[in-house]
Amino acid sequence: MMTQEKITKKGKQPLTSKTVPLAELRKLLTAVSDHGAQHLVEVETDLNQTTYLLSGAIEKLSASFMSIHEAITAQQQEIDQLLEAIDVPEDEYQKVLLLRKKIGDEVNAAVTGLQFQDMTSQLIARVIKRVDGLRESLDALAAHGQDMGPEHEHAEIVKLLNEMSANLNVRNTALMGGLIKSVTQQNMNSGEIELF
Amino acid sequence: MAKTILAVDDSGSLRQMVAFSLKAAGYEVISAVDGQDGLNKAKEKTVDLVLTDQNMPIMDGLTLIANLRSLASYSKVPILMLTTESSDEMKAKGKAAGANGWLVKPFDPKRLIEVVQKVIG
Repeated sequence: MMTQEKITKKGKQPLTSKTVPLAELRKLLTAVSDHGAQHLVEVETDLNQTTYLLSGAIEKLSASFMSIHEAITAQQQEIDQLLEAIDVPEDEYQKVLLLRKKIGDEVNAAVTGLQFQDMTSQLIARVIKRVDGLRESLDALAAHGQDMGPEHEHAEIVKLLNEMSANLNVRNTALMGGLIKSVTQQNMNSGEIELF
Repeated sequence: MAKTILAVDDSGSLRQMVAFSLKAAGYEVISAVDGQDGLNKAKEKTVDLVLTDQNMPIMDGLTLIANLRSLASYSKVPILMLTTESSDEMKAKGKAAGANGWLVKPFDPKRLIEVVQKVIG
């Protein structure tokens, strides 16, 4: 309204559908939608590739971990047999026990660390849902832009723009509601335990 | 005779780590990929403990618990949640559904075994 008054006071034409640069506005909305959608496709492609690579990496890491653990277990059994067969000095025996404990601690740490993929994949899935929601909003923006025609009066265009805003707000609220964050972990420390 | 634990999680790496940890402690493990799969396997054989994730496709953990608790054979079987969810609201829902405990991921194998031993021996 301020803009309209200013223009009128300066002696120019009041703002009507004929003076609203409708073609440019539609072009802008379409461009925002198209460019945004292009970037979102790239984002989604990269996220899917990240998920794929993470999944492959964790699969290989897990397989290697299992093989190493199997070999170490067999090695420890051999050492146990040797310790029973030969007379080993006490300090050497204690060294073996210390090493065994260290291996056990490291195995536990590895098992905890190897769970990261579960959390990262949940976070990535949430980002992809947000990208989908954003793409739908951009599509709606372009579609509403096409609804505006040269036959519309100023009030009708205002109404359409308000409807566009309301529609985007509804989509945003729906998206937020469906994206409750389930992964809050900030590090790989093990989580709390509570028995009821 | 080794006690049997049903581990339900849609993440392959989690199922692998849970099974690895529990088997190393002498338990038998049956794995399921989601709540529905878990329910089917629980019906095939009554296990000594159910360890389930919450956020899974097809059937989530809370629904699985509610279904299990409706079965006479699972009215007293301990059920533990193992999930990334850590809010008090979700824990309250779990408790109301019939869960006996809540473990937040990632789990430490040593602590997991301690809890399992405390619950089923």
